[in-house]
Amino acid sequence: MRYLYIFLLTIAVSHVTLAQQAYDAASIPKELLPHASSVIRANDVTVEVKSLNDVIYHTRLIVTVLNKNGDDDAEIAIYYNKTSQLKSFRGIAYNEFGKPVGKIAERDLQDRNVVDGFSLFNDDRVKTFKPAITTYPYTVEYDYDTNEKQTLFFADWHPGQGVGTSVEHSSYKLLCKPDFNIRYKQINFSGNVATNEAKDLKTYEWSISNLKALRSEPYSPDQDLLLTSVRIAPEKFEYENISGSFTNWKEYGSFIYNKLVKDRQKLSPETEAAIKDLVKDISDPKLKAKRIYEYVQQKTRYVSVQIGVGGYRPFLASEVDQLSYGDCKALVNYTQSLLNVAGIQSYYVLNMAGSEKVSALPDFASMNQFDHVILCMPFKNDTTWVDCTSKENPFGYLGDFTDDRLVVACTPEGGILLRTPKYTTADNTQLRKGTFTLTSTGELRGDMHTEFRGAQYDNRYYMINETFTEQVKKLKELYPVENLEIQSLQLKQDKSLKPVTTEDIKISARDYVAQNGGRFFFYPNTANRSNHVPKNVTNRVNPVYINRGYLDEDQITYSLPDGYSITSKPIKINLDKPFGKYAVSMSIVGNKLIYKRSLQINDGTYDKDMYADLVDFYQTVYDGDNYTLTMEKK
Amino acid sequence: MRKLLLLISILSFCQRIVAQDFDYGKCDAADVAMKKYDKDTSAHAVVLREFGKAWVSTNDGVPLIYEYHIKIKLFDSKAFRHGDVSIPLYIGDNDHFEKAYDIEGVTFYTDDNGATQRIDLDKNKIYHEKISNHYERLKFALPNLRPGCIIEYRYKTESPYHFNFHKWVFQWDIPKIYSEYEAHIPAIYEYNVSKRGVLALTTNKAELESECFSYYGTKCDCSKLTYGIKDIPAFIEEDDMTSPDNYISAIYFELAQMTNSRGVKEKITKEWSDIDRELKQNEDFGDQYKRKGLFKERLIPVLANLTDSLDKAKAVYRYIQNSFKWNRMYNAFSDDGIRKALESHTGSSADINLSLIAALSAAGINTEAVILSSRDNGFVNKLYPGVSNFDYVIAKVNIDNKSYLLDATDPLLGFGMLPLRCINDQGRVMSLNKPSYWIDMVSPQKRSTTMNLDLTLQDNGKIKGTITTYSLGYAAYEKRRAIKKFNSVDEYVENLGEKDSKFKILKSEITDLDSLDKPVTEKYEVEIDAYNNLNHENISFNPAFWDHTSVNPFKLNERSYPVDLGSASEDKMVVTLHYPANFEITAQPAAVAIALPIKGGRFLTDINIADNTLSYSQIEQFNKAIYSPEEYPYLKEFFNKMIQNQKANVVFHKKAN
Repeated sequence: MRYLYIFLLTIAVSHVTLAQQAYDAASIPKELLPHASSVIRANDVTVEVKSLNDVIYHTRLIVTVLNKNGDDDAEIAIYYNKTSQLKSFRGIAYNEFGKPVGKIAERDLQDRNVVDGFSLFNDDRVKTFKPAITTYPYTVEYDYDTNEKQTLFFADWHPGQGVGTSVEHSSYKLLCKPDFNIRYKQINFSGNVATNEAKDLKTYEWSISNLKALRSEPYSPDQDLLLTSVRIAPEKFEYENISGSFTNWKEYGSFIYNKLVKDRQKLSPETEAAIKDLVKDISDPKLKAKRIYEYVQQKTRYVSVQIGVGGYRPFLASEVDQLSYGDCKALVNYTQSLLNVAGIQSYYVLNMAGSEKVSALPDFASMNQFDHVILCMPFKNDTTWVDCTSKENPFGYLGDFTDDRLVVACTPEGGILLRTPKYTTADNTQLRKGTFTLTSTGELRGDMHTEFRGAQYDNRYYMINETFTEQVKKLKELYPVENLEIQSLQLKQDKSLKPVTTEDIKISARDYVAQNGGRFFFYPNTANRSNHVPKNVTNRVNPVYINRGYLDEDQITYSLPDGYSITSKPIKINLDKPFGKYAVSMSIVGNKLIYKRSLQINDGTYDKDMYADLVDFYQTVYDGDNYTLTMEKK
Repeated sequence: MRKLLLLISILSFCQRIVAQDFDYGKCDAADVAMKKYDKDTSAHAVVLREFGKAWVSTNDGVPLIYEYHIKIKLFDSKAFRHGDVSIPLYIGDNDHFEKAYDIEGVTFYTDDNGATQRIDLDKNKIYHEKISNHYERLKFALPNLRPGCIIEYRYKTESPYHFNFHKWVFQWDIPKIYSEYEAHIPAIYEYNVSKRGVLALTTNKAELESECFSYYGTKCDCSKLTYGIKDIPAFIEEDDMTSPDNYISAIYFELAQMTNSRGVKEKITKEWSDIDRELKQNEDFGDQYKRKGLFKERLIPVLANLTDSLDKAKAVYRYIQNSFKWNRMYNAFSDDGIRKALESHTGSSADINLSLIAALSAAGINTEAVILSSRDNGFVNKLYPGVSNFDYVIAKVNIDNKSYLLDATDPLLGFGMLPLRCINDQGRVMSLNKPSYWIDMVSPQKRSTTMNLDLTLQDNGKIKGTITTYSLGYAAYEKRRAIKKFNSVDEYVENLGEKDSKFKILKSEITDLDSLDKPVTEKYEVEIDAYNNLNHENISFNPAFWDHTSVNPFKLNERSYPVDLGSASEDKMVVTLHYPANFEITAQPAAVAIALPIKGGRFLTDINIADNTLSYSQIEQFNKAIYSPEEYPYLKEFFNKMIQNQKANVVFHKKAN
């Protein structure tokens, strides 16, 4: 009897130890600690598909925060709206040793609207909680269920690895009836999905362990391409009153076009007549389209209102016609409706916008890969693209917001995977010529002419329609010239099919030449001095990625003051690397100093070992750009 | 600031004049045709007319009614943001909340045929946004905006909060042709009215409206106050300025007195002596900082073996700093009491610092509360005693005739150091046993650093040596923050070494990182890849390379408002460079000494050469946190001269063999 008692006690004790271990900071595997400020101990999601409009997500998240920098990783944010509701929530906070120190209840969550930064109104809300624990390390555990009344999109699996965060264990499990089918795509996942099919239950399960915390590495590709994830999409789905199915981009395009766009393009007879009248004297379809795009640009403005299915379906074209505003979907749908009147074919194109290029996954169609809509016109051998939310872009110009990425055009014939135009290194130029006089009092005076093309066309976007006072303020921030005064400024934009922005300025700057003890110092590079060298990263993991290439050329001619001569060595640099070229030269002819600089950066992905070269390259550029000449009186 | 405030007497009445609201939904052909605003041709928009009216309704609960009406000319698409309108509402609970109604909007625009069209706001397109438990917003976008269009909208709000009589902001970031506000105040209420900003009122009337209001069956008169300003210029915000609210022209109201249902006058705004007494009893203030009992047991381990008062105070301060995570809310009053804050380890500035005051008192240390207005909240209105201007509270500890101001919201602040958000104007010291009094909210600390570089130029072209930096005051605080952003000191040093590819840290030592009352000392043994080799006839070296200013933060020629640098500062650097015997110095920077007027600051350099050793020293001092617009040109030129001089280099020349 006595033995049995001890045996029972041992079991009980060991059970407690086991349970605590998951929360005990000391039990984190050592290899997960370097560069980590938090460790995800467990991130387990179970998705239960009950029917096409009833899906339960059960989430269990345990995070150990190692220091103050990890506090944000212990914050939970549960998003909800009309189709997605929080059903139950509980949370527990643990101390360093895994002992519970507090409970977190649903009433402790803060409820607020989601501020997306661009919408006038959206109906998404969020419940958040951030623990306030002042001793480190500590651990929090959250356990909650949400109910999705839709199957149009599923949460993908992202284990949670990131800069400063390692993952001890994460899993994703999906349970459904045998007649419910999903498609999935595994990205950077070397394991296998575990599947099981019983009479009335089918399961899929992915899991992963021990992912190390990442360091931030400059010039890295999009994180989604490097981290482990599994993307999930249903074959059949419902959302509000809309049902459908798709298994590839072609079917996706049909769904979007037929269910969400097609019926929203009717215009009033007056508007139709006005559009016909607008283009009646133009025969070239491309020029017709240009006229209509410019009409939309001057008539409408961007206002975003996202409510329920309105997050996916555009406003009625007739409504935009009447209100003169709408979001990207509404404005593209409206423009397309107007183009239809003029007999011009166009596509409603979904894409992921942003300066960083993010493409649709070519072999996996799902709803949650896009956040923007643009318009494409498939003229013969001359496919033309426009962004209808811009009031300023030239016709046919996308800029760096949506260039060079895979996008999906939604047409009556189905979806088509397309790539938006690329602005190449040779396209993206900034060409400058300056003619200056240096006076014996150290003043710089003269003119500078700069042309911007390709993705650099937009370099002056933020000041183009500003007043002179405001432009002067911005140029003073932009140019690294102390005591800069701007006598005159002309900014012109040629919005033709090969758009160019031209800047002509007349400037002066006293004390451009610094004086000290009878010697005079100045930068021969007046206007385009690099001020940043990327940091060295030892033991780099990621390949080197340059998102967009460009070419900058500066040629500056100075007239030196009479009786002075340059006493320091002329600068000459010629550097040629796979990712870029840098050349600087200087010549003195009579009292003229001619300074030439060109910097070319080539986009692309390069081996990680080339990063050290890139840092050296930029260091040379920095030193070359900031080279100071010394001048002395003869 | 006192100069800018203007007391407006509401006692003198004159004759009744008709209401000044303008007709809704009508637009003037001249306004439609207007191409730009002559008085400010750079404006993207101009308010043609703005009218507001606030009055007290005799309906249930005698709510405050606010009527707002505006008409704006939009010259170009940059002004279209004014077409997105938002009406903020405060929701106290189910019985006390603000609501908006009678919302109307219209856009007048010129169509493609040159005809003026109007389009009304569709009421179904007004969106109701619930931001959080207490804040909501009605939002709408006016339709059909085109360059040159005119938008007009009006609405009413109803509020149960009499103490919160609607302020009127005359000055926006776009100019206004005329803006007028009409306040109808029944005689049972008395408000203190104050004006900020330099613009003069062009309309300023006080009239009597007899029997305009009835209250529990008794009729009473109202005073009708009309304030208007014509030709209001746009307010242009400048960089590095103290709160714009200090300068924007606006009218503020503060409830001073009201007559209750029994006909008894209740003073709301009182003498400081009344406020002192009340705050001591206030359940969200005095009641909280008197809760010494909460700390008796908690402090036993904290105070163990301590006898000296200052040591005790420091220990208690550390304890409170480390007990809380500040929720970033500014407040002078506790939300749910300090007991709850202590249990949840989080709270507002009031929760944390009232806890601090209670804990210090529990430790037997003479402590007072100081209420203040944070920097972003603007200067304190000192014309009337009152607490509505204050949004922060800190502790004042008095030990041996010395006093220390303490804020425990940030665990990296040293004892007696205040965060910059508290350094603003004056604070009011609320003592338990003395009348309250003002103190200047200035910091005894400045930002200061001392750097010593002891370097040797080696034959291989590399520079080797040690760099030691001492950071004091706010510089120490900033340094600690920067280091704590990394998971460990090693990671900080690793990152520092990676920042510059020419710069290698061979050894590092950081001391007193956690001793908040001491300077942070960083000592690095470094190797700098300065020159590929020394096979040059001349080598140029900038002695200020380690710490120099290369960009003047002040670029504009004029300044309208004071420049706020945050705190006074002092940076010292001494560079010692030993160079090889086969080199001599042929050119060197001249020593400089420049100063700002009225001891505002100075910049000094000195250079000495002896025994193949170059010694360079540099001192940069700013003796004030805030510089007036009159001092601005000097400040700008001071930076210019500093930058100029720091460009000068030393030239080493290889001696002939």
